[in-house]
Amino acid sequence: MIDFLQYLLNGILIGLLYAIIALAFIVIYRAGRILNLAQGEVVVFGGFVVWTFIAGASFPLWIALPLSLIAVVVLGFMVEKGFFRPMIGQSIFANIMITVGLMVLMRGLMIVFWGASARPFPVIFSLKPIIFGPFSFTRSIFIGAIISLAVFIVMNWIFEKTRWGLGLSTVAENHVVAQSMGISVKRSIGIAWALGFIVSTLAAITFLSGQSINFLVSEIGLRALPVVLLGGLESIWGAPLAGILIGVGEALAAAYLDKYTMGAASEAFPFIIMLVILLIRPQGIFGWKIIERV
Amino acid sequence: MAVLPCGVHSANYSQDKAFIRTPVQWVCFIAFLLIVFAGPFFFPSRMLGIIIITGITIIAVVGLQITVGLTGQINLGQSAFMGMGAFTTATLAANFNLPFWLSIPAGGIGGALLGAIFGIPALRVKGFYLALTSLAAQILFPLLITRMPSKWFGGPNGLGLAPAKIGGFTLQSDQSLYYLIMGVTVIMLFFAFNLTRSRVGRALMAVRDNDIVAEIMGVNLFTYKTLAFAIGSLYAGIAGGLWAYYLRYVMAEQFNLWSSVWYLGMIIVGGVGSILGAILGTVFLRALQELITIAGPWFGQVFPQAGGEALWYSGMNIVLGGVIILFLIFEPKGLAHRWNVLKHSFRIWPYPYL
Repeated sequence: MIDFLQYLLNGILIGLLYAIIALAFIVIYRAGRILNLAQGEVVVFGGFVVWTFIAGASFPLWIALPLSLIAVVVLGFMVEKGFFRPMIGQSIFANIMITVGLMVLMRGLMIVFWGASARPFPVIFSLKPIIFGPFSFTRSIFIGAIISLAVFIVMNWIFEKTRWGLGLSTVAENHVVAQSMGISVKRSIGIAWALGFIVSTLAAITFLSGQSINFLVSEIGLRALPVVLLGGLESIWGAPLAGILIGVGEALAAAYLDKYTMGAASEAFPFIIMLVILLIRPQGIFGWKIIERV
Repeated sequence: MAVLPCGVHSANYSQDKAFIRTPVQWVCFIAFLLIVFAGPFFFPSRMLGIIIITGITIIAVVGLQITVGLTGQINLGQSAFMGMGAFTTATLAANFNLPFWLSIPAGGIGGALLGAIFGIPALRVKGFYLALTSLAAQILFPLLITRMPSKWFGGPNGLGLAPAKIGGFTLQSDQSLYYLIMGVTVIMLFFAFNLTRSRVGRALMAVRDNDIVAEIMGVNLFTYKTLAFAIGSLYAGIAGGLWAYYLRYVMAEQFNLWSSVWYLGMIIVGGVGSILGAILGTVFLRALQELITIAGPWFGQVFPQAGGEALWYSGMNIVLGGVIILFLIFEPKGLAHRWNVLKHSFRIWPYPYL
């Protein structure tokens, strides 16, 4: 019983980390209607920027973190302007493929800039285990989960309460309508990309603290896709809920099913869930159902 | 369609339908086939290997072009469907001793079945959601195939198979495999070119241009969307079968997401929606791959911090990603369009317009 609760707890904490990466997908999708398949690469790129400021240039933490956030915001605007602005109004296939192209390109560039070998990521939150009654978990995961909850609250506030965020939602609904209401589609999409890069970098900090970083870590982006889809591509609060569901499911599959399947169950579980959602309810739990008119 | 050369006109339908219209085109076509089939006599063996792999890739990419370019159903899992074909062929050849002329078509059917299953969601979802379905297929494929009983697909170690035999003759050398693979490629291309002008092909294109309108016009969406995936992955499966007989060893890692991305890149470079484009794109990107493999060592001296295998890998990634992005932004119609423009301006020369 204690074991079961421990798995459950680990699943929830991991799920919240998945959810923050899922949030980066959602923030970009909410404005640009682009599902950025390069998300994992963006997370790792953000992680490498932080690494460069802390471990490479050895700045103290309170200078390095703001500096890296500024750097990724600039990067986000650049990526949007260079790659995605020419794609406004192009086919969905072209939009998907440009994110795939970005994914491959960023992988290659990361190897050129930072090499292919794994590097230790600086310890931002201490790794000492927290022991609470019979349960124990690492402090960094716990703090990461709290940070992701805070990010969710802030992002929800931005999208639901501020003028900017409401503008972004309008752009997500319909580019033409947004334009005719006086909202700049181009600027909104730029802001969305900058926000997406900030969230990705925060995800990298919480996820990688004390771990090792190399370009292969970007697989996490694909693993977060089922979370995005289960929660709904447009829903900010769907992500933590879906993240917890998938995190718990994965943890339980790892604990009870992996020994019979040579470790496949926990890896396959999120994607099987994803296929089921796509068949039953493609818009996810809280997503918007788009009705098509001829 | 580019204009025909001056003075060519049709007096009946069979002339109008013909692909090859002028004596010059016949001469060029036969000369091309002769060069292709006389290849083993004058190509060095390394070149022969490159052409064989290119031929296999062309089959898979043409299949992808039918799903993605002709029908507009996004497929990020072509490599998994190819893998399904390869494993079906390999297990039939290794465990049931089927001859290659049965096991390769069976591999095609294996690929087509898997493709059709993952194509069924296409009826309900499109765009990004459909891309995710095929992505899930691509990610689940190696997980499932390596966990099957090792008697079936060899488990994590992969599966080896004996060389193809016909009569008393063993297809083991690169030369004999070259003829097998080029022959199959030509047949598959013949079907693909004719598909685009058949009733089925027109229905597929109607689905691509507007599926709601296509349905109103009497095109059964379920049938044709599933069919698009089935045909596309049939091509992938046959390519996989040939791959199995060429390398004579199949492993799940050979059929990863990156090959799927390469295939999609080949379509984009060649031109979405054109069979000729699929061929041009494949040849262009394969040539680029070989160039990087050759230029890699030189590159290593300029950027020493990224060494060895990783360097080659990063060079491939930068070129592939860069080529995809540049073509999407600057030449979305691809090389096939450029080729048609060239042909057009050659035919109406010296006039600038027609």
